[in-house]
Amino acid sequence: MTHVISRTPKMPQRGRSSGLPADRTISSVTRVIVKTPGNLKDFIVADDTSVRQFKEKLSAHFKCQMDQLVLVFMGRLLKDHDTLSQRGIVDGHTIHLVIKSKHGSRSLAHSSRNLPVSEPCHGDRNTKGNSSGVCKSASMSQTPTESDLFVKTDAPKVRTQDLKVDTSECIARILENPNIQRLQSNMEYMRQFISEHPDMQQLMQQNPEVSHLLDNSEILYQTLELARNLAVIQEIMQTQQPAQNPEHPLNTLGFETIPGGNNALSQSYTDFNDRMLNNLKDPFGGNPFTALLAGQAPEQLQTSPTILPPSQEWRDQLPPPVIYTSSRGFSSISTNGISTNATPNRVNHTSTISTNDQSPVHDTEIAALPSKEVTQKSQEEDQDATISIDSPEQKLEEDPQLSDEQNSSQIAGGMMQLLMNNPHLAAQMMFMGMPQLNDQWKQQLPTFLQQSQLSDLLLALTNPKASQAILQIEQGLQLLATEAPVLLPWVAPYSWGLGCLSAPNCNYPDPMHWAWNMPDIPESKRSECCHVPGTVLQKLQSLAGDPSHFLQAPEIRFSKQMESLQAMGFGNHHANLQALIATEGDTNAAIRKLMRSQGF
Amino acid sequence: MEPPNLYPVKLYVYDLSKGLARRLSPIMLGKQLEGIWHTSIVVHKDEFFFGSGGISSCPPGGTLLGPPDSVVDVGSTEVTEEIFLEYLSSLGESLFRGEAYNLFEHNCNTFSNEVAQFLTGRKIPSYITDLPSEVLSTPFGQALRPLLDSIQIQPPGGNAVGRPNGQS
Repeated sequence: MTHVISRTPKMPQRGRSSGLPADRTISSVTRVIVKTPGNLKDFIVADDTSVRQFKEKLSAHFKCQMDQLVLVFMGRLLKDHDTLSQRGIVDGHTIHLVIKSKHGSRSLAHSSRNLPVSEPCHGDRNTKGNSSGVCKSASMSQTPTESDLFVKTDAPKVRTQDLKVDTSECIARILENPNIQRLQSNMEYMRQFISEHPDMQQLMQQNPEVSHLLDNSEILYQTLELARNLAVIQEIMQTQQPAQNPEHPLNTLGFETIPGGNNALSQSYTDFNDRMLNNLKDPFGGNPFTALLAGQAPEQLQTSPTILPPSQEWRDQLPPPVIYTSSRGFSSISTNGISTNATPNRVNHTSTISTNDQSPVHDTEIAALPSKEVTQKSQEEDQDATISIDSPEQKLEEDPQLSDEQNSSQIAGGMMQLLMNNPHLAAQMMFMGMPQLNDQWKQQLPTFLQQSQLSDLLLALTNPKASQAILQIEQGLQLLATEAPVLLPWVAPYSWGLGCLSAPNCNYPDPMHWAWNMPDIPESKRSECCHVPGTVLQKLQSLAGDPSHFLQAPEIRFSKQMESLQAMGFGNHHANLQALIATEGDTNAAIRKLMRSQGF
Repeated sequence: MEPPNLYPVKLYVYDLSKGLARRLSPIMLGKQLEGIWHTSIVVHKDEFFFGSGGISSCPPGGTLLGPPDSVVDVGSTEVTEEIFLEYLSSLGESLFRGEAYNLFEHNCNTFSNEVAQFLTGRKIPSYITDLPSEVLSTPFGQALRPLLDSIQIQPPGGNAVGRPNGQS
């Protein structure tokens, strides 16, 4: 039998050579790569080396025993009696090597390379989850391949029912056994025992969160630390005795008393919240992006989600812990929202906000905003969400449609704020519907928005008279489009952004909300952009509310708000109307506007 | 001599962008990307993946991402669960620690590729592993690289695998 060679071959890399003189030790060698986790090593072996011999070599190299070695090639375990060539291992192939630890690992428990150190007694964790001291011995019998440690123990075989009698003595006896102590100090075994006990498994089936707790080794460790004190155990036993349900002692125990227990519970509460809200979101159509991008006018129900998707991307750039905390925050807001009102729309609104938080962090290369803006946005949304929930006016609660408008207008207000601060965002918003936008415009828009006196313009636009004027211009252009389209190119410079050129339908946007409806932009840009399809603005406008609303006269649309304003004492009908137009039907904002204009 | 057990190995592929990448990548990057892929290996009725929290596992489809967008059959393996978990433990201590996570160079797909090769000898489809270089070859990707480098992905819903005792 040829034996393994450990010098570099004089043969060509192919490994096989048939024409050489019969020096059998060097006749055919193979270079295999042995890959361990974190390590890569070349080995030169003879072609017909058996796996066993190879393992000998490896064990010498890696300083471990042969039976700790597991060789894997192409997903197949290599058995000792095979030869390498039999398994098809030729030059250049990679064999994977796993070095088993001395004690086998099991399920998803950690494998400990060190023998458990004999620490002070951890206490009988049985009393935590089970009423029997027999857990250990019972599960010992269930794990046939456990190490010698168990075989040596002479733990008393206490029956489950007997535990209620003379518990403390039995427990004391058990705890004193040094073998048991050693056992208990090994986290992995403890976890195994806990999870394999039938009572525990029943508990886990009913409350899956418990398995989370077990998997969190920190909690387990703390739990075991807590149980070290026999006095604690006795106290727990006493409280447990009168418990009506001995099979679920975790409930009576009260996780709050365990340090770190609150964390575990809060985690499970968050998880539960998240799942619940996820399910809530589903009835409204899983993917809010599709409606936006498909160019359909989304239903009013989805107006809020379509505005929110950009925020989702920005938000995703927060580090994950923040996502959880904000999700928790939103969860509480939204659960509040769910409980305080019955309007499905609002629930949708708030739930979509919170579910945005729950989506996993995207590594999308689309948005590139500093997180400062994200927090700003989240604050705004916070305000929006709380405003919509805490709104005290009964009227709003009774009128879902009204509240929706308010919701969307509040969102629009927040959006505008954000867009003013983030021109990149504005660019992105525009891109969502316009594949044909060229790069030049892409780059210009951010700087343009930055440079222009955006805030001044917006303030100017909120002036009802100015907005009326713009409205009239738009109406005129729209009329022109329908009556004499041939004239449109002549007025193209003036119609940029107003969407009249290619919008055959009457849905042109309300100019007050969108920053790029500015008539005084430079001529060159306008001509470039005059072919911007009205679909963008259609979308934007539809984002702001139901398109059909724009067709009605403001008086009709806002009649309800007008009534409420009148009832509040704002007698100036005309001013009320202007304010309502400016704020798109948002009574609260209209009130603020009116008060401001009246010199408060 | 009993025949060895063969365990199927699957690759779960998730599109993190939920379809957005397919629509927006031509605009933003100038080239078509079908998705932003996150992958995990499913074997022995468990799903294993790598994120900024290290190697994690969960029931198949059990992360917050939900069910996978596609499932690729990688092959089958004789490696038992026990050996596999040993392997993952040592991977988690050496090559795939949580802090080693890098969105471009050493991400979930790197891990899936590594594990797939260990289990079956086969690699995962190249469109997944080529994604980072595809992105980086665009000017947009290059420009955003510092930001993207700092992104850490950890799909919630998994439990850590292979951590030393007492730490989480």
